[in-house]
Amino acid sequence: MSALTTSDGRLASFQQGQPPIDKSPQPATGGPPTAETILATAARLRREVGLTFHEQLMEDIYADAARLADRAVTRPGEAERFDLDRSIDRIVTSRVWGFPMMILLFALVFWITIIGANYPSQWLSNILIGTIYPWLNNMADALGFPWWLSGLLIDGIYLATAWVVSVMLPPMAIFFPLFTLLEDFGYLPRVAFNLDNIFRRSGAHGRQALSMMMGFGCNAAGVVATRVIDSPRERLIAMLTNNFALCNGRWPTQILIATLFIGTLVPAWLGGLVSAAAVVGIAVLGVAFTFGVSWFLSRTMLRGEVSTFSLELPPYRPPRIRQTLATSIVDRTIYVLWRAVVFAAPAGAVIWLIANITIAGQPLAVYLVNFLNPIGLLIGLNGVILLAYVVAIPANEIVIPTILMLTVLMTGASGVDGGAGVLAQTESHQTIASVFQAGGWTLLTAVNLMLFSLLHNPCSTTIYTIYKESGSKKWATVAALLPLAIGLVVTFTVAQVWRLIAY
Amino acid sequence: MTNEPKQIPITDSGCAGCPMYNPGHLERLGVDMSESDYVVGLAGNPNVGKSTVFNSLTGLRQHTGNWPGKTVTRAEGGFVYDGARYKLVDLPGTYSLLSTSLDEEVARDFILFGRPDVTIVVLDATRLERNLNLALQVLEITDRAVICLNLMDEATRRGLKIDDRRLARDLGVPVVPTAARQGKGLDELLRAVNDVATGRSVGRPYRVRQRSAAVSRAVDELVGQITQVFPDLPNARWVAMRLLDGDENIAESIRSGELGQLSRAPRLEVAA
Amino acid sequence: MIDLIFNPLLALVLAIVTGLVLAVLFWPQRGLLARLRRARRMSDRVYSEDALKHIHKAEVKGRRPTLHSISGALQIDPNETAALLGRMTDAGLLVDDAGTPRLTPAGRDAALHVIRAHRLWERYLAEETGYDEAAWHGQAEEREHELTPAELDALAARLGHPTYDPHGDPIPPPDGALEPHGGLPLTSLPPDQPGRIVHLEDEPELVYAQLVAEGLSPGQIVRNATVSADRVHFWTNGDEHVLAPILAANVFVQPLPEEAVEPVGGRPLTRLKMGESARVVALAPGLRGQERRRFLDLGLLPGTEVTAEMRSPSGDPTAYRIRGATIALRADQAKYIRVTE
Repeated sequence: MSALTTSDGRLASFQQGQPPIDKSPQPATGGPPTAETILATAARLRREVGLTFHEQLMEDIYADAARLADRAVTRPGEAERFDLDRSIDRIVTSRVWGFPMMILLFALVFWITIIGANYPSQWLSNILIGTIYPWLNNMADALGFPWWLSGLLIDGIYLATAWVVSVMLPPMAIFFPLFTLLEDFGYLPRVAFNLDNIFRRSGAHGRQALSMMMGFGCNAAGVVATRVIDSPRERLIAMLTNNFALCNGRWPTQILIATLFIGTLVPAWLGGLVSAAAVVGIAVLGVAFTFGVSWFLSRTMLRGEVSTFSLELPPYRPPRIRQTLATSIVDRTIYVLWRAVVFAAPAGAVIWLIANITIAGQPLAVYLVNFLNPIGLLIGLNGVILLAYVVAIPANEIVIPTILMLTVLMTGASGVDGGAGVLAQTESHQTIASVFQAGGWTLLTAVNLMLFSLLHNPCSTTIYTIYKESGSKKWATVAALLPLAIGLVVTFTVAQVWRLIAY
Repeated sequence: MTNEPKQIPITDSGCAGCPMYNPGHLERLGVDMSESDYVVGLAGNPNVGKSTVFNSLTGLRQHTGNWPGKTVTRAEGGFVYDGARYKLVDLPGTYSLLSTSLDEEVARDFILFGRPDVTIVVLDATRLERNLNLALQVLEITDRAVICLNLMDEATRRGLKIDDRRLARDLGVPVVPTAARQGKGLDELLRAVNDVATGRSVGRPYRVRQRSAAVSRAVDELVGQITQVFPDLPNARWVAMRLLDGDENIAESIRSGELGQLSRAPRLEVAA
Repeated sequence: MIDLIFNPLLALVLAIVTGLVLAVLFWPQRGLLARLRRARRMSDRVYSEDALKHIHKAEVKGRRPTLHSISGALQIDPNETAALLGRMTDAGLLVDDAGTPRLTPAGRDAALHVIRAHRLWERYLAEETGYDEAAWHGQAEEREHELTPAELDALAARLGHPTYDPHGDPIPPPDGALEPHGGLPLTSLPPDQPGRIVHLEDEPELVYAQLVAEGLSPGQIVRNATVSADRVHFWTNGDEHVLAPILAANVFVQPLPEEAVEPVGGRPLTRLKMGESARVVALAPGLRGQERRRFLDLGLLPGTEVTAEMRSPSGDPTAYRIRGATIALRADQAKYIRVTE
């Protein structure tokens, strides 16, 4: 059936039973020709000329193009291809240097992003949460807002928005311009060229390497980046698997949990190294899932979608650094702000509401957590974590603050500022660890949280983007449910095996 | 053996400087013409510096979005030349216009149905033969074209000498050498665009020759019928070739009469 | 109850059992649900159309269709087959000619409609989708029963009124008769006579899949065929092939006079060494549909000079210089482009 619903849906027109146009191959004799006779004549001539028409047409055009170019161009020296280009290509696609250079370059991009984002993130957080947030609270008090209004607006909507902006804006505004520079220079097509064989084996396109890299920054941006893949089937594969690239919104979760639970398993001097290895391990697992799921999709759901491959390696051109940086940073800022307002703000409102609407003296959140708890425990997590993932669908970066807030709400643990529905802001790892302890977390909880953070539905921005890009509700649904199903199966299996071994 | 059946249409009659564009279809393509007098399409192969040309011509007056219903990025911007307001629409970079991909379909539909007042074809001067393939296809659809021979600086660096006047004579449309990165040649490009838009310069574009007698006969027969049904269609030959190639979109536009609308006289409301 | 679920072993076992049950139910093609749907689709009409096809094929090949050959083709038991043939005779599709079912004119029209649907659909799959060659036949076997004549006409128009399916079988025109492909089995091609492959028999599917795996497709020129009792050797596309006679008998060729065969010559583009240049001789017929058009648009035409520039460090795509641009092509596509020695 899938052949009928291929990307462009062109076949649909004939399915709906268009009137047959070829009933009278001979044009009506007598009377002036009409649109119908033109089409009939065309059909008849096509049969006469045969199917090589396209080939003859292209041959004619290229023959003329070659002749005209020959007349216009004189080349005194026979410099077939620019030597500099050739030399660069020799190095970046060489057997020896190709891969090491690539890894080094991307490691550098990530390093610059992580280091560079730290300071502006801190600074934004100080301003938005440290300064403006109390000021807004004072304003609300001064204006005599009722507690629920200031709570909903400031503790709910404002805080979630501010959180998303301060976590996401700096890495996005560093990561993507760097990528754009590499693209302008002409290096990215070479990456696709180097890696294509690996992607080909899983039925995907070499350029998926690029959208995957973008996905490490932001999955929604990665999905848009699949536009460079000009083959319909490979493009869909790239969209559906982009979520397995661990995005910026999820890195902080991974790092925090790895530091608190994995790093503490070994002597302190090894802690940093081991927790870093754990995070990288999760990211690599994500890449493995990208290939596995690509392979699976190209052999099941996407069998029969059209596939055409060609990859131009354009000449190298010096990038226009200042202009690229300026437009790219502005683009990303606008994008993050849009996303914060459209997706994060409502999430903030919902989080505040479930913590503050009480039924029979208990907040709504308590009922929800208790309801989700058995399922959570079954897959090695708990109800708080599941609820946090449900309400934080719009933005993965508020998962940890939501978990903290809900755990405090459930257990009454102390040490975290704020209150019901106020996204927790904490400085010390010790406080966080004690809150998690109060919540009954074990090493299994931590490992499964790291796995689940990698393997669950994409954030709603990404789902929406996949819907827009694929133009299909079906694929958006698959993109949302497939990773979630994988995540549930993986965490469930890990939990049971863990318990079997542990007891 | 150019079997060009008709004179250059419409512009000769009555209103020489009137815009040509097809307002109804442009609206459907999401191009708002309320603030502009002329619309210009920007076509070219990938990696020929098309976006540099676009940025240089429009500066900061541009915005990006998608083609309606398509996930193909569209950038549009504006410029003013000689008192006329121009809208510049960046078309997807393609090797060809024979609609094997979404990008090609978008570019093709814009040039054919949107009927821009001018289509600029950006060519990479260092790879002329490959790039002329697209230029020749555009010239089959429209005679209102200007060739922007970009990356002239790179061509010079590689020791290539390009005779742009000869190329212009051969192609039958203005050819402007540029180096958009250095901002060279853009004034001349604007002047050429303006000349074509206002009808001061009328193209007699090169048409591809058919080498096979059977194909040539088939095209002629079909062109005869098409010109009888749509007398003012400027690109009957191209339409015939698309039909022979089995292009369902073009067949559909004949069936629905959309193609017929293209052959109507231009709008008359704009007084000179 | 909760405690029971939290027994990890039990939970694991329960989950595995659930997974198995779901797989048995929903597995594509082999699952119960798929089987059920197929069984529902296998209506009387489908059986009767398959029977018409079988009888038509037998008549074309000059064989006598029997109750047993029909029941074997339909995979239903002879009693049911007899009842089916009875109903078809009542409907005016068959006449009973001394125990041999023969098609009436109405029956022949119906059979041709199904054959046309089958072959057009295969053509469609070959030109406009990415399905493997081995999957075409099976899909067409299902679709042939669902398409109406109006839909077929529209499909034919869309595909440019093709006259042959991708296996080289003629597609019957809407109201015309079927011309046979006119080839003879490769095993009976006289030695040293070249021939053009006109047809690859697509049944049984297993044999067909092997022929496809050999890289054979209609339009290719076969030369230097030598037939022995247990092996058939021949050359096509510059490569030597060896087939078991039982496979070679499913390849049909049209003998060509020696002088009419232009030496196809050339070698696949993939044989080019880095830095080596050659001119394109032809694009092999196995390159079809959109992929072929894409290559033509890139300027890969007979006579075009191509230079192998560099190979990916991971081994596969190779970048070629084609009319001034560097374009990477995968080996499984580049093998269709024949270049000068």
